[in-house]
Amino acid sequence: MWRGLGYLLVSLLTAAVALFALPVFLVPAMARAWASWHRRRAGRLLLSPRSGPVRVGTWRVLGWLGTYIVTSLAFGLVVVVCAGNAVATAVTVPLWWALPAGTRAGGFAAGVPLSGWGTALTLGTAQFVIFAALTYWLVPLLARLHARICVALLSPSAAERLTQRVETLTETRAGAMNAHGAELRRIERDLHDGTQARLVAIAMRLGAARELSGEDPQMLARLLREAHEGTEEAMAELRAVIRTIYPPILADRGLAGALTALGTRSAIDTTLDIGDLGTIPAAVEAVAYFTIAEALTNAAKHSRATRTTVRVARDGDRLTIEVTDDGIGGADETLGTGIAGIRHRVLALDGTVRIHSPVGGPTTITVSLSCAS
Amino acid sequence: MRVVIAEDNVLLSSGLELLLTAKGFHVAAITKDAPGFIDAVAEHRPDITIVDVRLPPTFRDEGIHAALHARRRHPGLPVLVLSQYVEQQYAAELISDKRGGVGYLLKDRVSRVSEFIDAVRRVAAGGTVMDPEVIAQLLTRHAHDPIADLTPRERQVLALMAEGKDNATIAARLVITENAVHKHIGNIFAKLGLSPADSGHRRVLAVLTYLSRQ
Repeated sequence: MWRGLGYLLVSLLTAAVALFALPVFLVPAMARAWASWHRRRAGRLLLSPRSGPVRVGTWRVLGWLGTYIVTSLAFGLVVVVCAGNAVATAVTVPLWWALPAGTRAGGFAAGVPLSGWGTALTLGTAQFVIFAALTYWLVPLLARLHARICVALLSPSAAERLTQRVETLTETRAGAMNAHGAELRRIERDLHDGTQARLVAIAMRLGAARELSGEDPQMLARLLREAHEGTEEAMAELRAVIRTIYPPILADRGLAGALTALGTRSAIDTTLDIGDLGTIPAAVEAVAYFTIAEALTNAAKHSRATRTTVRVARDGDRLTIEVTDDGIGGADETLGTGIAGIRHRVLALDGTVRIHSPVGGPTTITVSLSCAS
Repeated sequence: MRVVIAEDNVLLSSGLELLLTAKGFHVAAITKDAPGFIDAVAEHRPDITIVDVRLPPTFRDEGIHAALHARRRHPGLPVLVLSQYVEQQYAAELISDKRGGVGYLLKDRVSRVSEFIDAVRRVAAGGTVMDPEVIAQLLTRHAHDPIADLTPRERQVLALMAEGKDNATIAARLVITENAVHKHIGNIFAKLGLSPADSGHRRVLAVLTYLSRQ
């Protein structure tokens, strides 16, 4: 009851203020901020999860403002009458003798003069009990009703929620397309500048060797040797490029198997805790793998950690990855490209990255990815 | 020497056949998948088998499974696994039965013909041959472990030892005397706390087991 009482009284006061300050709310930003504050109060009263800023249209906000002023004043007045009378009765009745003669009881017993302890005690007690009971019963009811109206008017409708979701998806999709485009360009550059250039050099040497046809055995041997070494370098480079596109071990063994291999290869002791992952889209698997590989490399290079723990769990459509080390912490995103690379890959898939790395450690990197197709 | 090959890519299998036939091997069968390979091994009882890691139907690690399966059915069957990339995990699985006659090489190595043929012969003879990249993966691991106490020269010797090279080859490769190699190996075994094993695949296994246990 006390929470409801406080809520309604604050609503009443602020509504009175708002009534006098109406022109201020013609500025949409002000109205919106005011609405956000009230929705947070209403949310707190209803014990619903914390809500962000109000996102509905300006007309909805203004509609809410009118309703809010009317309901706040009306409900507030009912509360003031009930609670006020209960308090007033409790104060005045025991002091009836000190009041000027002929003072009448307030409230619904208004006509009866207070002339002796008998009337004072019976009437007073009855009146106090009735008003107190009314307050006790009405206040939480009205407070919740008020809060519900407020939340209902300020929450986006199904259509508005859909619009917002589409906006968010359009944004992240654009991000994913950009990331995808950048990735394609990187692969093209790697193959063009590396493997392709090497193949050209090899073909040139083999062509020259054919033209020689036994005239210069020493030159022939040199050209063949260089062509041979060139093919080996090209193969090694191609392998490195393939690894950055989609690690072969991931294709062979899936995420759990690839992480086991990664763990045994890591430079510091790594404990793996991999739950039942089900089927994961290849793009998500690759990002999860690169994230963990990068986090382990970072831990080995910068954290002075002696051990790391990798947790991977699937809950419905969410894949959650957590990499913790026992190192010195203080990971700085602006230094080096490791964490930035993780963020870049994860955001492209509409996932989230959280890095907790206080100075003195430990460092925990948490990544959440959606597996929904 | 009879060879059974499991390789689904015709370009590569015909290349291998050409090369092996030219060097005096008899290619008894070329199979394109794991079940075919298992049957061919039972039928031809080859002296050496050469298996690609990726085979149909899923092109994942069927070759590794086929090799392990064949070796369970025919203990000690020499198997040389070829792959476009090496993964330490697969090496550990291949040597896990502690028998010799195992090789794991990048396909790139085939182009160094005489070295490749040498590797095939060593595996057929019960030796263990590991690709230098596997050894590199194993050696770059721990920052603070006994490997860090080895001198650069000892690391070189260890890497060659893990590849399955004998003392004479190691000496020739590093341009030192066989006596010096012997001394280095003694130091390595002492520093890693390994019991001095005799030469051959048991030595390789001891080293590989040590490295992959870390």
